[in-house]
Amino acid sequence: MFQDYQTDGFFDEMFPKEGGPAFPHYRQVEEVIGGFTREKFLEKRAQTESAFLEQGVTFTVYGENNQGTERIFPFDLIPRVIPADEWQVIEDGLTQRIIALNLFLNDIYHDAKIIKDGVIPEDVVKTAAHYSPLMEGFEVPRDIYMHICGSDLIRDDQGKYLVLEDNGRCPSGASYVLENREAMKRAFPKLYQSLGVRPVANYPSLLRKTLEHLSPRQTGVPVAVLLTPGIYNSAYFEHSFLARAMGIEIVEGRDLIASDGYVYMRTTSGLVQVDVIYRRIDDDFIDPLAFRKDSLLGVPGIMDAYLKGNVVLANAVGTGVADDKVTYAYVPDMIKYYLDQDPILENVPTYLAWREKDRQHILGNLKELVVKSANESGGYGMLMGPTSSKKEREEFAAKIKANPRDFVAQPVVSLSRHPTVCGEGIEGRHVDLRPYVLYGEDIEIIPGGLTRVALNKGSLVVNSSQGGGSKDTWVL
Amino acid sequence: MELKVYHRTEYRYSAPAKDSVNEVKLTPRDSKSQKCSSSIVSVIPAARPKPYLDLYGNRSHHIELPESHDRFVVEARIRIHTAPGLRVEDYPYGVEMSGLKVLSGREDCHPFLQSSPYIDVNPGIWREAVDMMSESSDVFQTCYAIMEHIFKEYDYKPGATAVTTHANEVIKRKVGVCQDFAHAMVALCRSLNIPARYVSGYFFDSTRDHRLRGSEATHAWVEVFVEGYGWIGLDPTNNKVVDDTYIVLAVGRDYTDVSPVSGSYFGGGTSTLIVHVAVRRVDVPLAVL
Repeated sequence: MFQDYQTDGFFDEMFPKEGGPAFPHYRQVEEVIGGFTREKFLEKRAQTESAFLEQGVTFTVYGENNQGTERIFPFDLIPRVIPADEWQVIEDGLTQRIIALNLFLNDIYHDAKIIKDGVIPEDVVKTAAHYSPLMEGFEVPRDIYMHICGSDLIRDDQGKYLVLEDNGRCPSGASYVLENREAMKRAFPKLYQSLGVRPVANYPSLLRKTLEHLSPRQTGVPVAVLLTPGIYNSAYFEHSFLARAMGIEIVEGRDLIASDGYVYMRTTSGLVQVDVIYRRIDDDFIDPLAFRKDSLLGVPGIMDAYLKGNVVLANAVGTGVADDKVTYAYVPDMIKYYLDQDPILENVPTYLAWREKDRQHILGNLKELVVKSANESGGYGMLMGPTSSKKEREEFAAKIKANPRDFVAQPVVSLSRHPTVCGEGIEGRHVDLRPYVLYGEDIEIIPGGLTRVALNKGSLVVNSSQGGGSKDTWVL
Repeated sequence: MELKVYHRTEYRYSAPAKDSVNEVKLTPRDSKSQKCSSSIVSVIPAARPKPYLDLYGNRSHHIELPESHDRFVVEARIRIHTAPGLRVEDYPYGVEMSGLKVLSGREDCHPFLQSSPYIDVNPGIWREAVDMMSESSDVFQTCYAIMEHIFKEYDYKPGATAVTTHANEVIKRKVGVCQDFAHAMVALCRSLNIPARYVSGYFFDSTRDHRLRGSEATHAWVEVFVEGYGWIGLDPTNNKVVDDTYIVLAVGRDYTDVSPVSGSYFGGGTSTLIVHVAVRRVDVPLAVL
């Protein structure tokens, strides 16, 4: 299967040299998968795909005409393998990072010392779309703001891991990690067992533990619920999957009522007081009394209960300011400022359009850069310089000039590639990695995470909403 | 063994405190028995912990909070590898008590032979120690006998003593917690000219019924110096020679030198202290699910 594989000069996850043997940690994968005939392998793939479809492992792509389409999440059968020593660096780096981000949130919603000391300009913080003045002075339970974080990592042409962005609001994708693992165990049971891959199946129980740790009532079993925007949301599959796996109720806004500073869930046997809400709804929509008045998804009065300390929201309100793409550029400074340590994982170099000098550089080099909107996620509102048309670049230039605070740009990092089944053969495709960090009493990172792969040839965009697929990630 | 520690110390003040200056010792030292792979100390309200090494080589941080605040939280997260403990046949027996005299001239032993704030080296304690060692003339055997004596004869009773209880009182009343037992043992060893130091750290209770003491908070034990071997840890609270379930945070003459968080501030009214420690093993191979 791998005879004709070409690395094309990119850093390849599996093969250090074109035509040479695989990295030692990939040897068994090379042996087993390389031993398949093409027909047999495609047959295996067809089986896996039909299993996904039957189980409804799907997501929704939002089109321009607002008609959502449900699709199965494309899955690649060649696993990504990460050796233990590499994983340890990722774990240490992400632990350091989430601690710094939490200290940052704590700081800016209290004394804002990092601003007073001139490390981060006040403008950056206070003008961030997700800065929440309601949170000023509020002491969040256990001092934790970002309970669940999904940071996207990429590898450059030397194989060095870099942080591309932090998703500190409602990162999605964890359910695919679990489903992918099930699929791989069925497809390659022997290979999986013989490698000693670290399991991920305990993610739901760790997540539940993380949530229960926050409960304001420490007697009995805390009542935790998952609050979803509903069945039309692109990640609804994940919401129902996680709720079921954790053994907690999945609710929509209309299933909850806030009264006298407490939140209750309507059940067939009356109202039940809720302690912790794992909410998969953005801040803006969570409470029409406090935020967007037109929101039908939220629960009126829920913020009041939250600020009185009677119910906990995970993640906290206002965490979006820490995963803002401008704030991102300052994370290495935060680590230095709060922890007096050097970042273990580095950032991708980032230009900030609101800085005069950076803006000139961005506007002059649009063709070489990736431009991102500061507060968007999921690959929306993005310009890929090298593949963009002149018209797109002109549009973006105008947007940047009109609203410099909202844009950042990064050089195109030639993401590492991984052998991927494409059409009839195996070709290199660009990948990233989203590990999931849980911040409860312990900081837990499930070994692996979602390896996303850009299935279109040459594409660097791995988002599921933009034609990306995924792989199982095996940490040894 | 690979272990993870989460240690949170929180002070809440009834009135605003300010000009707070603190010293924390929450970063394990590296030695032949342990290697720390990552360690993070963080503070709320925001303050940068500045690292330095103290007199005894402990990795310490200096933290200042000049502005007014009503709470102060220090958190430490540690990940560490510990080496397997000594096998019984490798215990450093065979060093004669008669050879101890020369040690007081050594710079690394001298401070651990003297009296210190919580420890008095006096004839009364010496008499107690001599009774415990019975006929032994072997350094390690003597230390082991003292540890065993404390474990068997002293009452482990939380609340019976305070953080400021002196070793003299512990030896007289034969009651206390790990800090007191360690102070008593250090005093008894020193009175016999055996260099002994006080150790603070964590302890992972690997027994199935969690019958050992001290794993729910910071623990304290003793290290004695045995010529030719070096410092060896003995835990009088659990009657154990220190093994890979122990993590050394800091060593010193007594509690004064190693207290995990210490400092001073102005104002504050009355303060409430909440401490939480969790030690977890991370390298247990999980069953493949």
